[in-house]
Amino acid sequence: MKFNLRKFVAELYGARNVLLQLISQQLILRYRRTILGYLWTLINPLLMMSIMAAVFSVLFNADLKTFTIFLFAGMIPWNFFSSVVTQSSTSLINNEGLIKKIYLPKIIFPLSLASALLIDSMLSFLVLLVMIVAIGGSVSWVLMFIPVAYTMLFFFSVGISLMISVATVFFRDLQHIIVIAMQGLFFLTPILYKRDALAGLVAGLVGLNPVLPFIELFRYPLYLAVLPSSSVVISAILISLSTMGIGLFVFLRCEKRIVFRL
Amino acid sequence: MSSIQVENLSVKFHIYHDRSPSLKDYFAGLFKPKKSSACSEFWAVKDVSLEIQSGERVGIVGHNGAGKSTLLKALCGIYEPSEGRIHVEGRVAPLLEIGAGFHPEFTGRENIYLNGAILGYTNEQLREIESEVIAFAELEEFIDTPVKYYSSGMYMRLGFSLATAVRPEILMLDEIFAGGDAAFVEKAKIRIQNLIAGSDIMITVSHDMGLVSTLCTRVILLKHGEIVGDGAPQNVIPLYLQNCNG
Repeated sequence: MKFNLRKFVAELYGARNVLLQLISQQLILRYRRTILGYLWTLINPLLMMSIMAAVFSVLFNADLKTFTIFLFAGMIPWNFFSSVVTQSSTSLINNEGLIKKIYLPKIIFPLSLASALLIDSMLSFLVLLVMIVAIGGSVSWVLMFIPVAYTMLFFFSVGISLMISVATVFFRDLQHIIVIAMQGLFFLTPILYKRDALAGLVAGLVGLNPVLPFIELFRYPLYLAVLPSSSVVISAILISLSTMGIGLFVFLRCEKRIVFRL
Repeated sequence: MSSIQVENLSVKFHIYHDRSPSLKDYFAGLFKPKKSSACSEFWAVKDVSLEIQSGERVGIVGHNGAGKSTLLKALCGIYEPSEGRIHVEGRVAPLLEIGAGFHPEFTGRENIYLNGAILGYTNEQLREIESEVIAFAELEEFIDTPVKYYSSGMYMRLGFSLATAVRPEILMLDEIFAGGDAAFVEKAKIRIQNLIAGSDIMITVSHDMGLVSTLCTRVILLKHGEIVGDGAPQNVIPLYLQNCNG
């Protein structure tokens, strides 16, 4: 089960053309033959979040404007993370036909999925930004931090997706478990509520949630209009790099056995 | 100069009888290793050693399930050897199945780029060969139609034309002698022959002994994953035919 990092990088570079093709395939395909086409990628999260904002601001008795911005800032990173994780569980299984017929570095399947979702997410972020400005939110230079936040979030999500895409090949039940687990994790992540609204055991549990720093990376600049505190940034860097490291390790260790288990 | 060296290659499959082992079975198995497992082992290729030099035209023959395709896939890198090692020098063209990787929703032209990337062609190469591929497949009228509306003949022609558009150093063919009408089959034969002539090494798997004896300079006979014959076509093909009858 040895692996060779230089060979891995060389193979990935050799397959960059396939990677780009798979990314554009994903972006194009979803909305082929729909009238609004790619606009759905932008409209959908916008409508979804508007509904949630309307419902929960009434439920929590909060000011609609501030709550909307608060919610959007948390939903953007969560939506990206959650779609990468749930969709990556089938990324290898769905490409069985290719994997069994042609030799390709298998990492391109989860990686192309995450990259396509990243493009979606960044575009819907821009739309949401326009909306935030429209309802009177503040926009300042701290927004320059968002690309950095996206980079860390991407590393973290890809790291998890590498583990999950392989694990699902070996244990198919995971694809169903993950959907439920992500639902649970959503409520354990302070997206609808503020973290300091919690106390006791639940607060401790939420504090351990690895997604938390990534939510805060977006929420500080968007909602509070300040840079994230250094402790948040440091923990996000540590979590994203170690997740990526473990993900790569697991993926490359199991990569050769995938084809026998599809 | 291309070459292929195979030393004591074995490829093992696990056969799952009813279901894939669950997470529970997996953890239970960690502590009770002797419990009978849900799968059994099957050696599709067993202890195969061979060396193929530049210029050789090799035909792999044998009964269904003898391990021919598995051996070819191992040479392409799709199956990792369970034991032994493979060393391949030269660019391999993975011509294992025509149209693998075509996306039904995409048009013929988009599929040329998608599938071409999968086959390892660069974008510049694809732009160069695009019009030739379309012309050879006789699909000028339908190239911007999604391939799900293609007839099976059109689908085959596009896949064949694309897969055979660039000359590789090492050519591996798994029974791909194209379908389609008689005129296309004629054209395809010539194209394949040119491709073989331009390649450094050619390996094919086939049940068509006429084809093997005309195309190949060396024939390898596999039986239950092991090599039982290796040599000139006139020596090995009778052995295979005798095996069939006996």
